[in-house]
Amino acid sequence: MNCEEFANLVPDLDALAKSPETMAAREHLRSCPACAAFYESSQRLRTELHDLGLATSEASAPSRVEMRLRQEFRTRHKTEKNHGRAVVAGWLLAAATLVLVAGSLFFWHSPRVNVASQQPTAKAPVASTVASEPELGGTLIAANDGDDEFALIPGALPGLQDETSVVRVQMQRGSLSALGLTVNEEHASDVVEVDLLLGADGQPQAYRLPQQTAN
Amino acid sequence: MQIEAQERDDVLLKRSAKGDEEAFTILYRRHQAQIYRFALRMTGHPWAAEEIVQDVFMTLVREPKKFDPERGTLRAFLYGIARNRIMKHLERLPREFSLEIPGDEGEPRSLEVADQRTPAHWAELRERREQVRAAVLSLPPEFRETVVLCELEEMSYEEAAKALECPVGTVRSRLHRGRALLLAKLEMLREMPKRANAAL
Repeated sequence: MNCEEFANLVPDLDALAKSPETMAAREHLRSCPACAAFYESSQRLRTELHDLGLATSEASAPSRVEMRLRQEFRTRHKTEKNHGRAVVAGWLLAAATLVLVAGSLFFWHSPRVNVASQQPTAKAPVASTVASEPELGGTLIAANDGDDEFALIPGALPGLQDETSVVRVQMQRGSLSALGLTVNEEHASDVVEVDLLLGADGQPQAYRLPQQTAN
Repeated sequence: MQIEAQERDDVLLKRSAKGDEEAFTILYRRHQAQIYRFALRMTGHPWAAEEIVQDVFMTLVREPKKFDPERGTLRAFLYGIARNRIMKHLERLPREFSLEIPGDEGEPRSLEVADQRTPAHWAELRERREQVRAAVLSLPPEFRETVVLCELEEMSYEEAAKALECPVGTVRSRLHRGRALLLAKLEMLREMPKRANAAL
């Protein structure tokens, strides 16, 4: 073993115990005064460093450091908790607003009830009497001559079957609006045949538009 | 919530991040002394060591998610932050070393005579200890930290390598170099009184 190898081994000499390297190192110590002096200095340094370590081995941070840290910890987590609550409240408010707006839009834009299509239907009663309606200029139909059902005129109440009669009239389509029906203005001047179901008081209760003109 | 004293660091940190003050306190008490001693031995100033410890654990309070258990232990993470703070401190200040040995609360304490040796002997020991301390503090930071961890804190090469986040071989070579520098400095100081006496 040379001096450089010995110098490299010195820090770990104690840990190597009775290994071959230790035996060689101790042999070198006996024969090299310079390395022996170096070894002695290293051991003294090691002892002094150990003593220095012992002098501060019980050192720790003052208690005020822990106090400051715990105070900061509490403040930070209280702030985070409040912030979290505010965020949740904000989201709930936004969700409620969204539901309100959606509901308003839904009811605002829901389709208008078409009077003509939603009229409750009534089966045409069998005409039991023959009468003329000079006001309407129409022709009484003795019996229900078709499968088409009558649609109630808005505001009218269906009467008893044996008190009603059916009259077929020719009229301008636009005149149907007088009965409370919605008419396409483009065809308002067209002449159409309309079957009217008249009540006992002679007032029209229901109507239908036959597909074929009756003679 | 009841916490067992030996709960793992990463588990405690997760609880701390959720606002569990008890978990944070356990973590702090578990690691603060070692970090404080490291900072004290590196800077030589108790007040600097106090500031550094506070900074290190303030990082845990404010940014607990910075610690990644996949990358290493919490202790190594704390040492890493401490090293950064220490380097910044050393860059800012001139090299003035306190000659007082701090006590348990970071305050200076006096040596007590434990046996029948003379006051002169104790004074000589104290002076020698201050020389060693000053010599350590005069080392370049990369050698100083290996001497502090391996010689003063008595960590193994492996433990020091984890704390310093470098290979074991680097720790050994830096320690070897650090010891050589210390030897040279202390031998010079030891020779000075002899030369002074010889000159008389």
